[in-house]
Amino acid sequence: MSNCDQFREMYEAYALGALDPPERVALEAHLATGCAECAKAVAEARWLVAQLAYLAPEASTSETLKGRLMQTVRSEAKSKSSSPVATASTMTPSGIPYWLSAGIAALLLLTFYFAWDAHHLKQELRAANERNQQNEQMIASTQNQGAASQQELTAMQEQMAKMRRENAILTDPASVKITLAAQKIQAPQMVAMWHAKYGIVLTGQKVPMPSSNRVLQLWLIPKTPGGKPIPSVTVRPDVNGNFVILVSNPPGASKDTKALAITEEPAGGSAAPTTTPKWVGAMS
Amino acid sequence: MFLAAFSPKDDRAASLDAALVRLLLQNDVGAFEKLYDKYSRIVYSLVLRIVQQSGPAEEVVQDVFLQLWRNSAQYDAARGPFVPWLLTLARNRALDTLRLKSERQRRLENQTDELFSVVVAPQYEKELDEKRRAERVRTLVGELNPQQKRAIELAYFQGLSHSEIAAELKEPLGTIKSWIRNGLIRLKEGLRTAS
Repeated sequence: MSNCDQFREMYEAYALGALDPPERVALEAHLATGCAECAKAVAEARWLVAQLAYLAPEASTSETLKGRLMQTVRSEAKSKSSSPVATASTMTPSGIPYWLSAGIAALLLLTFYFAWDAHHLKQELRAANERNQQNEQMIASTQNQGAASQQELTAMQEQMAKMRRENAILTDPASVKITLAAQKIQAPQMVAMWHAKYGIVLTGQKVPMPSSNRVLQLWLIPKTPGGKPIPSVTVRPDVNGNFVILVSNPPGASKDTKALAITEEPAGGSAAPTTTPKWVGAMS
Repeated sequence: MFLAAFSPKDDRAASLDAALVRLLLQNDVGAFEKLYDKYSRIVYSLVLRIVQQSGPAEEVVQDVFLQLWRNSAQYDAARGPFVPWLLTLARNRALDTLRLKSERQRRLENQTDELFSVVVAPQYEKELDEKRRAERVRTLVGELNPQQKRAIELAYFQGLSHSEIAAELKEPLGTIKSWIRNGLIRLKEGLRTAS
């Protein structure tokens, strides 16, 4: 029996998503070896499985859905078309890589978050995202030319991925905005945008600097009565009191969270709050 | 339109779809509207069958088409036809909204990228008239043992695994595996014969 024989009866079920974990893992491990025969068979099985869509009774969408969708698409197309044209070089005249320049631009936009109209900001971020995509193409070009080390390219790509995620959180209508008001201190509010899939972006401007060896820590306050605050990321603002921080994998789900809170904690953060919250924002 | 939407009846139609998707990269709203008009009905029909409620179904359809608009580069025409790719995306999104058990959801998510990668239509697919193929699919599946048909539907429309279907139908696991595989093989052979 060839190595492929044991998988022949799994192709259709795999395409259907019906294989139980042990079989699925075994087949995927085999596919990962580059078996062309099995890969082709699985691809054909996917086509076959797609035929099952015919079994769904015919139904029509509402006109309002198309209207909403087209409105969004036209708006985004307009926003994209107004973004600046990328240059051919991967470096700015000052020697800063464009990917970093784009990142700085995005962060600068974020510093104006409180002053800008949210809709306007979203449009700008979409434009920044478009520039990011163009910069990614430049990275690919640079990679081909061997002009940067692999480590540099990896760092650039990671940075780009982070920026893409931040932009997605800030621009997706599915994100929930949470305003964190200062508690018993004179300080501007902070703003968090929480996307169920992509995470949280927390922004602060002119935030009072924590004392040395101390940081600000984000907490998720669960809806469960008596639930303990769940620790999340720590941050120290920059010299101007500004920060933007991405929480890619929040320690809790938004649907289970009642509020976000910020406390001041020792460097490295705490497992449980050691001070009273300085900022609190309820989930809307 | 519903039938026409499922699969390109010839290479020219497939090429047109691929060209429209390429235009999305240039933010061509007209190309997006053409794709929506062409395929929203089949996508909605599939999604509605899965989620069972029109409101959530429309949300999924909106999500699917916005993903197409925003991430059209994910589709690579060289790797397979557009419509099965779109339907795979729609099916996975619809199953996600059913709030399936974590393991089941993980399994589908894990497969998503792979599912997007390659969907190869066999040669006979191009030779079979669309309407006849649609009727053939319904007929062939309709001819299956009702329990066998039910097993396939549970897998496709509810995202259940072999063992979950076995528990649902109170049948041995081996029986479920055979029913599903034999049913799909019969569908494949039936389509081949019809061509």
